[in-house]
Amino acid sequence: MVIINTEMSQSEDEEINMAAWILGVKDLSIQPYPLPSLGPHDVKIRIKAVGICGSDVHYYKTMRCANFIANKPMVLGHECAGIIQELGTQVQSLAVGDRVALEPGISCQTCNFCKGGRYNLCRGMKCFGSASTHTHGSLANMVVHPANLCFKLPDNVSLEEGAMIEPLSVGVHACRRANISPDTNVLIIGAGPIGLVVSLAARAFGSPRIVMVDVDNTRLSIAKDLGADETILVSTSIQDMEKEVVQIQNAMRSKIHVSFDCVGYNKTMSTSLNVTTSGGKVCLIGLAQTEMTVPLTPAAAREVDVIGIFRYRNTWPLCIELLRTGKIDIKPLISHRFGFSQKELEEAFETSARGGNAIKIMFNL
Amino acid sequence: MGKGGMSVDDDHGEEQNMAAWLVAINTLKIQPFNLPPLGPHDVRVRMKAVGICGSDVHYLKTLRCAHFVVEEPMVIGHECAGIIEEVGSEVKALVPGDRVAIEPGISCWRCDHCKQGRYNLCPDMKFFATPPVHGSLANQIVHPADLCFKLPDNVSLEEGAMCEPLSVGVHACRRAEIGPETKVLIMGAGPIGLVTMLAARAFGAPRIVIVDVDDHRLSVAKSLGADDIVKVSTNSQDVPGEVEQIHKAMGADVDVTFDCAGFNKTMTTALSATKPGGKVCLVGMGHSEMTVPLTPAAAREVDVIGIFRYKNTWPLCLEFLRSGKIDVKPLITHRYGFSQKEVEEAFETSAAGGNAIKVMFNL
Repeated sequence: MVIINTEMSQSEDEEINMAAWILGVKDLSIQPYPLPSLGPHDVKIRIKAVGICGSDVHYYKTMRCANFIANKPMVLGHECAGIIQELGTQVQSLAVGDRVALEPGISCQTCNFCKGGRYNLCRGMKCFGSASTHTHGSLANMVVHPANLCFKLPDNVSLEEGAMIEPLSVGVHACRRANISPDTNVLIIGAGPIGLVVSLAARAFGSPRIVMVDVDNTRLSIAKDLGADETILVSTSIQDMEKEVVQIQNAMRSKIHVSFDCVGYNKTMSTSLNVTTSGGKVCLIGLAQTEMTVPLTPAAAREVDVIGIFRYRNTWPLCIELLRTGKIDIKPLISHRFGFSQKELEEAFETSARGGNAIKIMFNL
Repeated sequence: MGKGGMSVDDDHGEEQNMAAWLVAINTLKIQPFNLPPLGPHDVRVRMKAVGICGSDVHYLKTLRCAHFVVEEPMVIGHECAGIIEEVGSEVKALVPGDRVAIEPGISCWRCDHCKQGRYNLCPDMKFFATPPVHGSLANQIVHPADLCFKLPDNVSLEEGAMCEPLSVGVHACRRAEIGPETKVLIMGAGPIGLVTMLAARAFGAPRIVIVDVDDHRLSVAKSLGADDIVKVSTNSQDVPGEVEQIHKAMGADVDVTFDCAGFNKTMTTALSATKPGGKVCLVGMGHSEMTVPLTPAAAREVDVIGIFRYKNTWPLCLEFLRSGKIDVKPLITHRYGFSQKEVEEAFETSAAGGNAIKVMFNL
């Protein structure tokens, strides 16, 4: 199937913009993607680096992600960076040729959430590659995007690192909401891409001790290489929880002030609620189950608060600074690279879907 | 605080101090209660008003509450106020005759929680009528002077005793950051829901909707100032419909929800009804393990805030009562004297619930 939007025409000598479309379950196809016209505050970006996220893989496998159902073809991808090609008439902060990292979500900027600074909660948010508003993603040769959501990369920060700012932002936002500091010992459950960016961010925010747990030894050794103070192999069996709680507390050696559940199952959440010290916080980032059965009352009766995380807000400048200064080195998370061809597209998604030693799959365009 | 004892120790010809002891399941007996000696920073207080709390009733019925178990006879009661009889050698802020409200819990003052001001979380907390620490439904008690707060002239001893449950509401409103911009939903119109409502209004909440399964409790809530009330069921299937009714009653987003019941259904309703970025404050302690839609709430950044008792609330409570910003008197529905028969009757009344909100002893 070929998709061409007949409402938008292209002049003969312009290149045809191609993108990676999801047409149905496990049906990805690189096809033309006509761009909207450039508004006065927009820029056109030639995309150079795009990472694959778990949500992209969900759409690939099931055409849905949580409550969002993709019922028509959609361009995937939202973790991206590129080079400015063209500027809208009112854009002064950027120049053609600038290397930029893109923040995917366009909020309405007029609702109470936006005006209060919590724009990530905007009900009208249009996010790259999200079926909630059927907004096309950025795994494409070029995209058009508001200039204020394009952040110039310092000379020493690569385009791939620029694309990594999106997942890193989840970690940074979580560390802010959880108030990570030199006073907070941190437990991270899940050493996948999100657990790993949380650990990098937690260290950058000054956390003195980080313990990470996972069911997979490969992921734990990566976590150790990236700086976790200690790692613990845990199981998926709830019977093991009591003993794992003891192991975790021993590994931390002192109080666990904040637990990040980067997985989101009954067991991981229950473990988090049980190990966290009175007055501490459990940050629920992983969105696995909908309904959870957890020991909420005993935790609440110790004033352990549960903090929710949805994407990020106002994180690009800080991420850029953390990468520029080397306070965070995100490059080790990129485990696989692919070019932008039909064959490589399919291979990349299959690799990402497999998990295991695939952490971040990156497209270079 | 000493444990006191049951022996008849009468060496100075002083009155025998009597207290209400929990001696077995469903068995309360008024018996002698020996006071420990007065430390330099302690005061001896003649109890005048003591309220009954749900936890007192729970201990009576089951000899336990959460993980606390009554293993030997224990004096019951912790919501209290009285008159200073004697002050320790180092006590300067209080004198005999002062009317005081009493904060029950003695924390260690040495651990991290205490030193950081979250003394309510002190692992070594010694709290009236939480075993093995004796309570205060007695003629007299000995207590640290710094936990006794002088009542303003226009605040009665009964209101002084009400500071304890009111403190739970005040602490919850602080943790949930209630203010002129927070529209509040309260699940449960029992004593805790009601003090939370009074506190929320005092903190400036512009609109308060309260829900309950019981019509009478809802009408009490209305008379105490709820902007709107919604009758709900105990049936989980009804959650979506009730969330809609709640939103209609609020007429706007729900910023903060207090679950003062603490059941799966109330928590599910709370998590579903609260706006993105809002807070659900879990005050009530129903079931230990809960099955709730936690993830969709977390994915809307609805935070769950826990509440355990209170900290640094007496001064503010007394100010609210002094200024009339809060009137707790309507919550006192039943009064009893301090006799064996009346103690038994009072607890039966409190346990029966219904139109009994706060049952108060006058000693």
